Amino acid sequence: MNHVTSETFDQNARAALADAQLRGALRNATSLFGERRLAAARSLDNWEQLRSQAREIKDEVLLHLDKYLEEFVVKAESRGARFHWAQDASEANAIICSLAQERGARRIVKSKSMTTEETHLNTALENAGIKVVETDLGEYIIQLAEETPSHIIVPAIHKTKRQIAELFTQELGIPPTDDVAKLTSTARATLRDRFAEADIGISGVNFGIAETGTILILENEGNIRLTTSLPRVHIAVMGIEKVLPRFADLDIFLKLLPRSGTGQRLTTYQSFITGTKTNREAEGPEELHIVMLDNGRSRMLAHPITRQSLACIRCGACLNACPVYQQIGGHAYGSVYPGPIGAVITPQLMGLEKTQQLPYASSLCGACREVCPVKIDIPRLLLHLRSEITEKSSPAVRQARQRTGERIAFKLWQMTMTRVWLYKLSALVGRLFQGLVVKDGRIRKLTGPAKLVTPLTAWTSGRDLRPIERRSFREIWRSDLSNKN
Amino acid sequence: MEATNRNSSRDAIIASIRSHLSSSKILDAREHEIKHGAAPSEPVSYVPPITDTSALMDLFKQNLEAVNGRCLVVHGDADLVQTLGNVVSDLRDDTKSPSLRIAISDSPDIERLVRMVGLDVDEIGVTPSASDVFRFDVGVTCAQAGIAETGTLVLDSSRERHRLVSLVPPVHIAILNATQIVETLGEALSTLRLEKYVSPIVTLVTGPSRTADIELTLAIGVHGPQELIVILRA
Repeated sequence: MNHVTSETFDQNARAALADAQLRGALRNATSLFGERRLAAARSLDNWEQLRSQAREIKDEVLLHLDKYLEEFVVKAESRGARFHWAQDASEANAIICSLAQERGARRIVKSKSMTTEETHLNTALENAGIKVVETDLGEYIIQLAEETPSHIIVPAIHKTKRQIAELFTQELGIPPTDDVAKLTSTARATLRDRFAEADIGISGVNFGIAETGTILILENEGNIRLTTSLPRVHIAVMGIEKVLPRFADLDIFLKLLPRSGTGQRLTTYQSFITGTKTNREAEGPEELHIVMLDNGRSRMLAHPITRQSLACIRCGACLNACPVYQQIGGHAYGSVYPGPIGAVITPQLMGLEKTQQLPYASSLCGACREVCPVKIDIPRLLLHLRSEITEKSSPAVRQARQRTGERIAFKLWQMTMTRVWLYKLSALVGRLFQGLVVKDGRIRKLTGPAKLVTPLTAWTSGRDLRPIERRSFREIWRSDLSNKN
Repeated sequence: MEATNRNSSRDAIIASIRSHLSSSKILDAREHEIKHGAAPSEPVSYVPPITDTSALMDLFKQNLEAVNGRCLVVHGDADLVQTLGNVVSDLRDDTKSPSLRIAISDSPDIERLVRMVGLDVDEIGVTPSASDVFRFDVGVTCAQAGIAETGTLVLDSSRERHRLVSLVPPVHIAILNATQIVETLGEALSTLRLEKYVSPIVTLVTGPSRTADIELTLAIGVHGPQELIVILRA
């Protein structure tokens, strides 16, 4: 699964669909998280209002992102934080590698951060000869297995405890067990040594507060607290969209994020970090470096529809709600951001050339929009990206997307729908000839010469089609309904 | 040279933000018109705040226990001393370890209490350093506030040195005064902000460390404390 890319989404999805174990795990996880989210949302009587408020705050920030970023930086710098700006992934990685090298750091502990997954920081550090250990239990498992996360919140959701036990036996030398508590305590014991010896701790950031220069990080395990408390240096990697105006805004976002992600009222720990420690004796790192990453984000500001993508707080609720994700899981998307939000973010971050299948990985059912705590209209974004692919993208992309048959079919469709006589005629012709393909009241998978009708073949390869009714609504109206007084 | 590069990236990102935002202005106006007809937000039912301390204590206890934390209510110093002594001797029995090491924060209150308890322990360390703290079995600290609606402790580093003592040892015992309990997260946040100066590190703690990363099976105590015991002083 390591070399799966977004370019081969169709194949990836097909392979995932054939994996019964994966689908079982996904079914359990997505339904459990879905139920928990719903129960947690219902425990508040103003859930819808909170969603609207959160979105208004995000919209306000994004419309004045330059202003809020500057305020955030000034405040945090006045408290001792140091800032580094990275236009893309490689610049971010270079900054972090040189921070480590300048300090002679050999060992780094890291807590879960989607942003550093996005920049492939671990590979860059390893290439620079620096040992980096993931400390979130799920991420640690993934790192030992040399795989990639398949869910934003539970990265190792695709692995069974038996597979994890085998991995631990092989890599850590423990006797075989399928006791989750034992596996967890093994990871705890092993990672304690890594925390104790680390020179640098690297974390992500959930929210940055402009008013106070505070960064806030949420977690359940305690590894983020250890990562940001024990080593001498703390490096926090933050997407430029993560800033919020006021400290008080956290009341809203702390109600939405844990409930949407895991169904908790609050995660076990929230670390509010404002600059560095104030005197020599106080506990905690001596240096705090905040790396601000753009990597395609500022581009998304250019259109109100794409700008919404930057409101995302990475809760993972849309993954759990998505009928496509529920069947294929995260790896098929070939990107660190899977599911509906991944299908809109990945193409914008990486360009449409290599990701053009992703905006089509959706039935546009709207479940993602329903659950999104910041009301991102993901279906609208998907349609926007689809139209960009067909209208604006390079000729190569356009050609690959637009199959000749599809183009002709839509041309004919357009002609038919704009001419009454042609519409009536084709309905008549359809009714006359559909008998050739209708079986038991449905048009099923086509065989023989009928397969030449390309769009019909494509449609029926995965689902049945209802035949055209004997009489149209207008005909029924005219003969039966309109005369009844 | 390096500094120049960093500044130039900063300038480039800010410039990119500004230019993309300005090219979106016409579209924003159109979007605003569409959004204007959005549905009004639902009315929120008004729930009067809880002012009774014992009701806040009950709510705090109930919510803390719901996330696998323990909450022991005590009345007065003598009760507190006895309870703390019992908790520690139970821990010694549970662990069956020949030695028990306790780390405490620099709170004068804690030092005083620990001395009063006369704990039968092998070592008491006051705010051990990052390299030293791993040896300890139990950490004892105060908490600066409690949030009733979630069973949460607020730990504020500017008022007590408890960052490591509350985190690294497998058991965390926290002493909280009932008068410090607020009802909601919002109240706790506004208190933190009211002081104008936000402390370098403020941590909210709700129950012991937990994970569900393996087959969604809940496991308590992965990296942080495996046990959280709050002694609530009425």
